[in-house]
Amino acid sequence: MSNTIAASPSKLLGRALSHGTLSTGLILGGLILFVGFVAPFIYHVDPFAIHPDHALEAPSLAFPFGTDELGRDNLALVLSGGLATLIVAIPAAILSFVIGVAYGLISGLGPGWLDKLLMRVLDVFLALPSLIVLLFFASLVPQTNFNLVLLLGFIAWPSLARLVRNEVLAQRGRDFVLAAEQSGAGRIYIARVHLLRIIAPILVVNGTFMVGDSILAISALSFLGLGVQPPQESWGSLLEEALDIVALNPWWLILPPGLLVFGSLLAASLTGQGLLRLWGDKR
Amino acid sequence: MTAVLEIRDLCISLPRGGGKTISILDHFNLTLAPGEMMALVGESGSGKTIAALAVMRLLPPGAVVTGEILLDGEDVVKASEARMRQLRGKSVGMVFQNPLSALNPTRTVAAQIGEAWRVHKGGTAAQARARALELLGEVGIPDPAARLDDYPHQFSGGMRQRVMIACALACSPKLLIADEPSTGLDPLIAKQIMTLIETLRRDRDMGVLFVTHDLSVVEEHAESVHVLYAGRSVEWGKAREFFAQPRHPYSEALLGAVARLGQARLQNIPGYLPEPEARAAGCRFAPRCGYAKADCAQGYPLAVTTGGTAACCLYPLSAGRAAYAEPLDKPVQKFMPQLEVEDLTVSYNGVGGWLGGSKKLPPSLAEVSFTLGRGECLGIVGESGSGKSTLGRAVLQMVGYEGAVRLNGVALNSLRGAEHRAARRKIQVVFQDPRESMNPRLSIGDVIAEPLCLKGGMTAAARQAKVAELLASVGLNAEIASRMPGAVSGGQAQRIAIARALAAEPEIIVLDEPTSALDVSTQAMLLNLMKDLAFKHALSYILISHDFAVVSYMADRIAVLNAGKVVEMNDTAHLISSPRHAYTRALIAAAPQLRTSHR
Repeated sequence: MSNTIAASPSKLLGRALSHGTLSTGLILGGLILFVGFVAPFIYHVDPFAIHPDHALEAPSLAFPFGTDELGRDNLALVLSGGLATLIVAIPAAILSFVIGVAYGLISGLGPGWLDKLLMRVLDVFLALPSLIVLLFFASLVPQTNFNLVLLLGFIAWPSLARLVRNEVLAQRGRDFVLAAEQSGAGRIYIARVHLLRIIAPILVVNGTFMVGDSILAISALSFLGLGVQPPQESWGSLLEEALDIVALNPWWLILPPGLLVFGSLLAASLTGQGLLRLWGDKR
Repeated sequence: MTAVLEIRDLCISLPRGGGKTISILDHFNLTLAPGEMMALVGESGSGKTIAALAVMRLLPPGAVVTGEILLDGEDVVKASEARMRQLRGKSVGMVFQNPLSALNPTRTVAAQIGEAWRVHKGGTAAQARARALELLGEVGIPDPAARLDDYPHQFSGGMRQRVMIACALACSPKLLIADEPSTGLDPLIAKQIMTLIETLRRDRDMGVLFVTHDLSVVEEHAESVHVLYAGRSVEWGKAREFFAQPRHPYSEALLGAVARLGQARLQNIPGYLPEPEARAAGCRFAPRCGYAKADCAQGYPLAVTTGGTAACCLYPLSAGRAAYAEPLDKPVQKFMPQLEVEDLTVSYNGVGGWLGGSKKLPPSLAEVSFTLGRGECLGIVGESGSGKSTLGRAVLQMVGYEGAVRLNGVALNSLRGAEHRAARRKIQVVFQDPRESMNPRLSIGDVIAEPLCLKGGMTAAARQAKVAELLASVGLNAEIASRMPGAVSGGQAQRIAIARALAAEPEIIVLDEPTSALDVSTQAMLLNLMKDLAFKHALSYILISHDFAVVSYMADRIAVLNAGKVVEMNDTAHLISSPRHAYTRALIAAAPQLRTSHR
């Protein structure tokens, strides 16, 4: 006689989903990047050309995403707005990431008094509502792309810094780190060879989340008029303009930028979660 | 008299990727009478835990089981899942190795013991509480009424194991399965737990099947023994007969590999336990067996039952087994002092306020002094919490301390910068957990080359050659350098850790419980290797362990540590033959020892 104890279906489903999550996230992310960086150079239409006799038209063959109230091609606007959004959001996320990792490493590996000081400074950053701080500083400086990258980059790092610092503290007492120190390894060596490699999965996952957050932040700023400045449009400013005339129900103006912001967040979240589960499985 | 547990021709395979299955346990037979205490013995990978889990049908998903497991006459293999839930707990109780992970941390012990009882017997909450109180008393928890509402973390390791046993006994099962119940506990506590289980099964006439890799525990507590090797039974029978005359060569080798108090040289079993895919066609032990002949490879041998135990061997051993226990003959040597430790005191700070400010805790090490001679091995023995690991870390300069640690006359904490680093390199360390001591994301070659990289002045090719040389000196093949730490066994990992320590060209190596995570045969090989290396590289060792037998095998001198203080220090032979301090005597009495040799 034989008896096969089958694997529980929920576990199998969980595994499939995890990899499904990752692939969905990556495909969606690839699509967003395509829209932002490749599509504007394929769809050769001037986003600022005005067609007064075609103002506020619903999608048609001539204007696949319709036109806005000035008669501009909405598809061209969305594509150029995507490029404008991403070239601020992605460098800002990278800047935030680098600051967060460096701050966390210094805090976690430095002497105790420095760690205490840096963590209290961090508490102050975390206690301030980031959007208010963002609005305050954005109103002080001219909104060039460079300034926006700096601004967003300096706002989003604290939670990553705390995460890195906590991981460093948890990992630096492990036997292999102690053994390296016994052979004369300094802090920079420990950080480079051991800690960064061990926490790499956490960094990749959180870096992915940061890109999504950064896209949301620049869109929010633009929506409030303090982000990418006219005549250049971005997803946030397109949404804001469409909402001005929401009474006319211009759904073709609201949906594309709205869905793209939503899709970016979803892509980042799915990719991050997928990676997390993929690595979780292996451990 | 019917058997409590009867296993007939049990075979278990587990799935391993790509729709393939591998066979873990083959043609396993076992009969356990009521009130019998049987030990299931084997090294990791022998299939002993899988056999125990199969009785409860707690196998991993996808396991394929054939054969019969009769629990009081009822076949568990065919029982429905609903019926299994009734049997678990009611007919069979189970105790696991790690009680902290088996108990729910968020519920009181009364609730957990009571629940185990109410699930099967019904009854009111008050009755369940009364039952919990009764059981806690029975398993020897002092003042049980006061501790009913405590949570698992409020109990010590040994007490937690007692609570776990109380849970398992809640419904008075006829069979208790214990998976390594005393492993990981201090020797004194481990002995108490095993004695408790022995007493309980006598009082309740309950069959006990306990899984262990520790033969000394078996000799002391089991009536019968069943030895597994690579998924097959090799020998079984009465424990007394087994220890008087093991009949299977593997059993003999296993007994020879156990470190005992006062032993000259441990026996090595050559080679490694085969992977499940690479098991020999005939007798699975034949490739490592000193007695093997050509026909040993022709099919698995049938059990020979003439006299004593039953053994699956074509050439079972008879009287006159190798006298592996030689009397302790450790010459007292004079060593030139190399490391002097004077009034070493270590205190850890308690958790402080949000801006500095921390309160002092009592020191974990108080005014410890000793000297370590060149080429000497000093053993540090004590229970967990005695400060022995702290002592090692202070000598290694890993923690701050008061007092002095002088290497070749130079106080280490007076040095700064490069001089300090160079001096520290002279003292290396091998940790207890072989997995923890390697970064899982570096290759073995990178792990061993690390001290060479840090010292600098070597080309990549020269480093590679040095790594190969170091690997050879610890008995490993150079090709292992390209593997990742996850792909080596525990014994190999510990050899790699030793190779890494040697790469720094140390004068002293601190061995912090270097073998306590390893199987007996692996432990024997490693201890012998370390002895040879000490001689070859003129190394001194500080060997930290809770295992008196291991320390006495290795050490020239032993220091006994209790509550942060050295209570006794003497030459190994003197300390063991005439311990002066009461604590030392208690530790020696609790030390696992096979008494056979003294009979």
